[in-house]
Amino acid sequence: GWGQQKAAGDSPSPRQSVRKNLEFEPLSTTALILEHRPANLPAKPAEEAEKHQQQYEEMVAQAKKRELREAQKRKKQLEDRVKQEENIGNAALTWSQEILPNWTTMCSSKRVKELWWQGVPPSVRGRVWSLAIGNDLNITHELYDICLARAKERWNASSAPSTTTDTDTGDAGSSHADREASLELIKLDISRTFPSLCIFQKGGPYHDVLHSILGAYTCYRPDVGYVQGMSFIAAVLILNMHTADAFIAFANLLNKPCQMAFYRVDHSLMLTYFAAFEVFFEENLPKLFAHFKSNNLTPDIYLIDWIFTLYSKSLPLDVACRVWDVFCRDGEEFLFRTALGILRLYEDVLTHMDFIHNAQFLTRLPEHINAHTLFSSIAAVSMSCRNRKWTQVLHTLQKDPERASPVLKR
Amino acid sequence: MAKQYDVLFRLLLLGDSGVGKTCLLCRFTDNEFHPSHISTIGVDFKMKTLEIDGIKVRIQIWDTAGQERYQTITKQYYRRAQGIFLVYDITSERSFQHIMKWASDVDEYAPDKVQKILVGNKSDEEQKRQVATAQGNKLAKAYGMDFFETSAFTNHNITESFTRLAELVLQANKKDLDVLRVSINDKLNLAALEEEEGVCDSSSDAQKTCWC
Repeated sequence: GWGQQKAAGDSPSPRQSVRKNLEFEPLSTTALILEHRPANLPAKPAEEAEKHQQQYEEMVAQAKKRELREAQKRKKQLEDRVKQEENIGNAALTWSQEILPNWTTMCSSKRVKELWWQGVPPSVRGRVWSLAIGNDLNITHELYDICLARAKERWNASSAPSTTTDTDTGDAGSSHADREASLELIKLDISRTFPSLCIFQKGGPYHDVLHSILGAYTCYRPDVGYVQGMSFIAAVLILNMHTADAFIAFANLLNKPCQMAFYRVDHSLMLTYFAAFEVFFEENLPKLFAHFKSNNLTPDIYLIDWIFTLYSKSLPLDVACRVWDVFCRDGEEFLFRTALGILRLYEDVLTHMDFIHNAQFLTRLPEHINAHTLFSSIAAVSMSCRNRKWTQVLHTLQKDPERASPVLKR
Repeated sequence: MAKQYDVLFRLLLLGDSGVGKTCLLCRFTDNEFHPSHISTIGVDFKMKTLEIDGIKVRIQIWDTAGQERYQTITKQYYRRAQGIFLVYDITSERSFQHIMKWASDVDEYAPDKVQKILVGNKSDEEQKRQVATAQGNKLAKAYGMDFFETSAFTNHNITESFTRLAELVLQANKKDLDVLRVSINDKLNLAALEEEEGVCDSSSDAQKTCWC
């Protein structure tokens, strides 16, 4: 019956909700309206009967109209979806047959750049990211296997009962403890990476892959080690490419100057990035900038999470992937441009809130952010300040650390 | 618009990764418990208004990332706090040992007047306990701190520990508070405009110390 139908559907269709309204009425409205009155009651006056007939016909006509409207809407939705799928299909074809085979000559062309901005189709996303991130570190699949094997040795060693820990002293001891702590932290964080997707958690299909990549990286770069936030980056890569390629992209991505500064927590360089961001913040959104300043809301409070996880924790995953697309095209500058796009999108709300409400808002962005709206907002952000581009501003600040954000310095 | 609170201050949650800082906070502010929480990167924020001795106290709680690497960043926030929770996990000996490191950092970077309490979380996991209640008590005593064993899972001692720290901060700032209350009454019309640092500014104008 209808009750069952209602319970089964997550979102009731408009038609179902119309039906719901009729639940308390007899199954057939004809029975109610057109039937003559029972014999023991006086007959309906002709005028009333005619009125009822007319009302009934109006109801039927309206219902028919409504059904027609809904059918048209459904048809339109279907057409839109087909068109969208066609567009994605066409784009995927263009990417895989034209652009990817001629990557070096085509990747910087205007047409490709425009197509890139619109979002890389999921079917070629992994390959595009890999090519755009590059492999300056010359990591091979074999090197990944070696790093992984070493990581596995360590896991086994640490899970076996250890007799040396107690006698370990000095540097060797502390580095051993550090290693153990970082192994445990990886385990803990894997269970806390996109928990709602249920694919990286223990028993999930990508649990071991994520574990392997993070473990291999700590062997590849023991000087950097595992830092919280990395699990999100590795997870997004795993969703788009094969394990060894994901590792190569992961290591090369983290090797970029901005990511290295953050993941090694090079505090003075981080402050320089924040200061450069503030230059463009003031240029683009002077009113909001002043409001944040007077509330002592410094950029570190929201940027740290955004930059460390490349927005994968704070934006819906599909929107985050679109940010990654253009981040791969434009580099670190786009991360800060995205931040300004977010601030610009919510400028009105943000200018009317105090410190704590703003901090809460920015560290937990609305769940329904739409990619199209966000990208329109990002497009309106200018990354040129008094004729200086992002890199120029950053370099000037780097040369003169005194100009870095004074609020955060101790 | 009536002012929603009389005083405002910041509390900070510190402790190793995975001891349950975010869970404590979610239980306190939203009365929710999520076993599979997303990791905190940098710092997260929550707030709640409590009434203590007839005073409406708005507390901002800064929830920090626990990994050691992040301490360079989170230390910057210590000096903005009036109260600090030092949290360990009763099922992790290591997280308990690290409390000493956390406490010494607090001494170095937080204001002298900062109030601290020690919290041993996950008290529901008795079968996995590695740190005895007596050990927690002893350490707290050595530091002159109050001590609570809590469970975000069963909601044990959550409100108690937050309220206690809020009371301690309130007491520690009693003198400032009395002056502040007078000034609030004096400038009642201004109060509606005051937010966050606003309270701070107006009191620091009249006073030597600013405590929010």
